[in-house]
This record gives sequence, C-alpha cells and structure tokens, in this order.
Amino acid sequence: MNTLRATWLLTIRALREIVRQPVNEVGNLVIPLFFFAVTVGAVGRVAERAFGVENFTGFQMPVAVLNAAASGTAGLAITQDVVSGYFEKLLLTPAPRFAVVFGRVTADSVKAAVLAALIAGIGLLVGTGFAAGPLGFLLLVGMAGAFGFVFSAFGVAFGLRTGSPQAAQLSFLLFFPLLFLSPAFAPKEVFAPWLSFAATINPVTYVLEGMRSLVLEGWDGGALLRAFGAIAGIGGFTLSLTAWALRSRG
Amino acid sequence: MGGIRAEGLTKVYRRGGVRAVDGIDLDVREGQIFAFLGENGSGKTTTVRMLTTLLRPTSGRAWVAGFDVVERPGDVRRAAGVALQEVGLDDLQTARELLELQARLFGLSRGEARRRAGELLAVVGLEADADRRLGTYSGGMRRRLDLAAALVHRPRVLFLDEPTTGLDPGSRESVWQYIRSINREEGVTVFLTTQYLEEADRLADEVAIIHRGRIVAQGSPEALKSSIGADVIAVELGEDPSAIALAVEALTPLTAAAEKRVADGHLYLYVREGARLVPRVVVELERVGVRPRAVTVARPTLDDVFLRITGHHLAVQPPSTAGDGAAGPRANLRAAKSPEREGDR
Repeated sequence: MNTLRATWLLTIRALREIVRQPVNEVGNLVIPLFFFAVTVGAVGRVAERAFGVENFTGFQMPVAVLNAAASGTAGLAITQDVVSGYFEKLLLTPAPRFAVVFGRVTADSVKAAVLAALIAGIGLLVGTGFAAGPLGFLLLVGMAGAFGFVFSAFGVAFGLRTGSPQAAQLSFLLFFPLLFLSPAFAPKEVFAPWLSFAATINPVTYVLEGMRSLVLEGWDGGALLRAFGAIAGIGGFTLSLTAWALRSRG
Repeated sequence: MGGIRAEGLTKVYRRGGVRAVDGIDLDVREGQIFAFLGENGSGKTTTVRMLTTLLRPTSGRAWVAGFDVVERPGDVRRAAGVALQEVGLDDLQTARELLELQARLFGLSRGEARRRAGELLAVVGLEADADRRLGTYSGGMRRRLDLAAALVHRPRVLFLDEPTTGLDPGSRESVWQYIRSINREEGVTVFLTTQYLEEADRLADEVAIIHRGRIVAQGSPEALKSSIGADVIAVELGEDPSAIALAVEALTPLTAAAEKRVADGHLYLYVREGARLVPRVVVELERVGVRPRAVTVARPTLDDVFLRITGHHLAVQPPSTAGDGAAGPRANLRAAKSPEREGDR
C-alpha cells in the first residue's frame, strides 16, 4: 500500500464525512463572508482617503478567503477518530502512518479550495474585480487549497499530541493573531513600526499579499513567489510538528 | 507460520514507571485458540497492543506469523486481524463503506473489496443494515462489524481483545461459534484476551493466566484444572472473621494435608474424594458452633485455578449463557440480530 493510494482512499472518506455534515460548512462560509461584509461596510468608504486603497472590497476579499481556508477541521476529526478508537483501526492496516493524516489534511485542502472559489465568486458579484483574470482566479483557489493543507496540519499536530478536540481547535484560534498581525485591514505602510515589523516576519502577510496581487494588480511574480514560499515555510513547520506528534501515536 | 511467539516481552510505561507486562514468554502454535485470562489491569491489553504493533515493547522480542513485531510491523499488520476491546468505528460511515475502505487499505482491488464486504456482512448478519450509518448501530451490531473488519483481509492470526465484553448471552454465544468456525474452517490462529472464565474454558485449546504482568499458569483448560488434583469443597461462612478462624481450626485435623483458601466469605478446601468428606466437614463445624450457609463440592473450575494462584476470584463473570446450540455459526449470528435491532440501540 503506497502513501498516495492510501491518502486517496482516506481523502475520499474524509470528504464524504464533510459532505454528510453540511451544517458545519455553512458556518465556514458564512462567517468569513460576514466579516468581509462588515469590514467593507465599516471602512470601505474611508479606505481611499485613510490609506490610499481604491478597491477596498478587492483588498478585503482575500482576507475572507484566508479566513475560510484556515477553518480546516482535520485536527478535530482526527481527535474524534482517536477517541472513538477508529484511528487505531487505521493504524492496524498496512497503510503508511502519514497517509492516515494526509487523507484528512487533503480533504481540508479540497474544502478550502471550494470555499475560496465560492467566496471569490461572491466577491466578483459584489465588484471586487479580478486583475489576473480567470487563470489568476484559479491560482487564488489553488493557493487557498495549499494554505488550507499546511495550516490544517497544525490542528492535526495538536490533536495527535494531546488527543483533545479542544487542543485541535487551537490552530484556528492561532490563526487570528497571525491574521491581525498582517496587513489584513490596512496596508503595511500605515502601520506603527512594531506592527510593521510583526507583519514583516509573519508568513501569513506574504500569503495574503500574493492573493491580493492577483485580485488588485494582475500577475506579480515576486508577490506570488513570496506567497508560495511562505506556504512552503508554514508547511515545513506544521508537517514536521505533525510527524513528531504522529510518532507519539505509535 | 501462523503462530505467535514472545520472549521476555516487557512493557514499562514511562509515566509512573508502571511495569504493565513483565517478561512474558509465549508460544502459540499455528491454528490454536489461545486465551489470555486475567483481571482488568493485569497486562492483557498491553500484550495485545505490543503483539499488534500498536505499542513498542520496552524489552524482549515477539513474532507474529514469523515476523518480528518491531522490525517488520507492516508484515505483522498484513498477517494479523485485530478487534480491540474498544470497538473503533466511524459513526458517519455505513458498515459497507467501512468494510470496503478497510479492505482497500489492505490492498484489495475495488471489486474484491466490494465482494469481501458483502460476504462478511452476510456472515455477521448485518446485510439488512449494511447501508445505515454506524451511529445508529447497537453495541452488539458494532461488535460484530468490528469482528468482520478484523477479518476483511483473511488474516492468518486473529487478535481479539475481550471480544464479548458487554454483549448479551445470545450475542456472546454467536461470537464464540464464529470464532470456532473460522479457527476450524480456515485454520486461523486466535489469540483472545478475556476476563470470563467460561469463555476461556469453552473456547481455548490453551489458556495462560496473567497476573500483575506475569504469566502465572499456562496449559489446556483441562490440564490447569487437573493441576489442582482434587475436588473443591466450598464452605460458605459469610464475612464473620471469628467464624472463619473457628472453621479453619476445626477442619485442620480433618484435612491436614489439604490446601485451604479463604475468599469472599468462603473457605475452600482442595481435597481428594470431596463428596465423602462433606458430612464430616458439617459435623466438625457443628461441633465448634459454626453454622455454614452452604457446603458444596465440585470438580475444580478455572476459577479455582485462578483463586489458587492469585488468592482471589476473577471479579467479572458474564451473565450465564444458553447451551451450545445446534445451528451453525452463521445461523446463530443472524438469529442474534433481531432482538438487538429492536431493543439495544
């Protein structure tokens, strides 16, 4: 049993679970859209005058996309498998250990991409525009999927290490400081020096700016490279953490 | 090579330094039903977890179907089917989906997985409920499905950790019949842990009693019972320590060479020709003013073996079971289904 085949089988199983609990996903779509609407409603009219952003709707839409992409539930689902004993049943098969985790994380990645497509689509309807065109749209969806994959591994690591559903959900709570320490609501140029420094060392900043470049500017190779570099960096960290946590589960 | 072997298998948990399994040796021959009998916390489950690669031994070695559990865990998993004490199922899947996924993770093709799942669902009598989500299953149905999942890849060795705990007598009997049938018809080696004496006695070719992480007795049920070499006279005295002391003193001249044990308000005498001695036991007790609630004599059971070795009874006993039943295992498993569906969800 190779890792790819096992991952595929376990991804299908995880996606089936997601589809069978549609109510959970309604929240993952509605909440980012709610914050998107409220932020644009509150700041949109003064954004150009206050910090020189003409298309504040387009400026905010990637924040909603990232918000949705970070709402993965792989960690929670894995701890539920641990508690129910099903996780051990999977460990008793010849499937590689990493496939058991990858199946869940890949399902979160697919979910993140679908949510991103829906949010970006709604964004287009409310006038965000899309400077990079249809291909850029697809790249943004792919970027959200990739971010969903690596960020979801965070929750899996917490969940595997502690076996606690509460701990698994910590990853989503961790996302908020990272988001607030990035240029989510205003450009970095208007930040206080300490916040500007925090945003500079925060990888979420680069993912957000990469997505934003596709919406507002078109094809900016440098921004996209930094975005994928940041995703790879986050992935290196979260997947190493997951591998370490997985070892504690035999 | 479908047997199990262990040499000095030991597990010490880092937290608290608990020595859960303390240097056990095992030699389970291919095709045997082997019962690991012991109380909760005696080390049964830890042993199973080491043998099935879920837990790394602290020291010692073990082989399942000829494969070292530490060096070749993948081969061990391919050779072994495991149903753990806690039935681990995914409530959002259906029984068919779970079995098919399990089969595919063991390398079966989509078509083979579908066929095998259908076959096993019929065997465990879950065909009619195969497409219902597992969250709606009763405890007995879950246990049967778990057993089916352990068999999906036709393992050579089957590990069953307390397979009938929590089951009603009918379902327990069905599981026993099925274990016997796969052992006899397919030659599967069965390693089962249990705290039920009756289960060990009726199912196993060989029994090992584990106590505080060590194997304290091993042999066929008959050999273990014969090792007592006597009948057992049980004198029920209640919890009054003075009555017990008086009884022991009064009966000592009568049964000087016999072994005695006191447990749970009973005085147990291991004697030859117990039936002949009972009237004299009653007379002697009468003489010192001790009035027993009951005096019984019986051939030794595994409980007597356990009591003799550990100094106390096995605490847990299952509800008594019906007779063996003449129908085959498949018929029995099906017959056990209906009441559960009605009542036990």
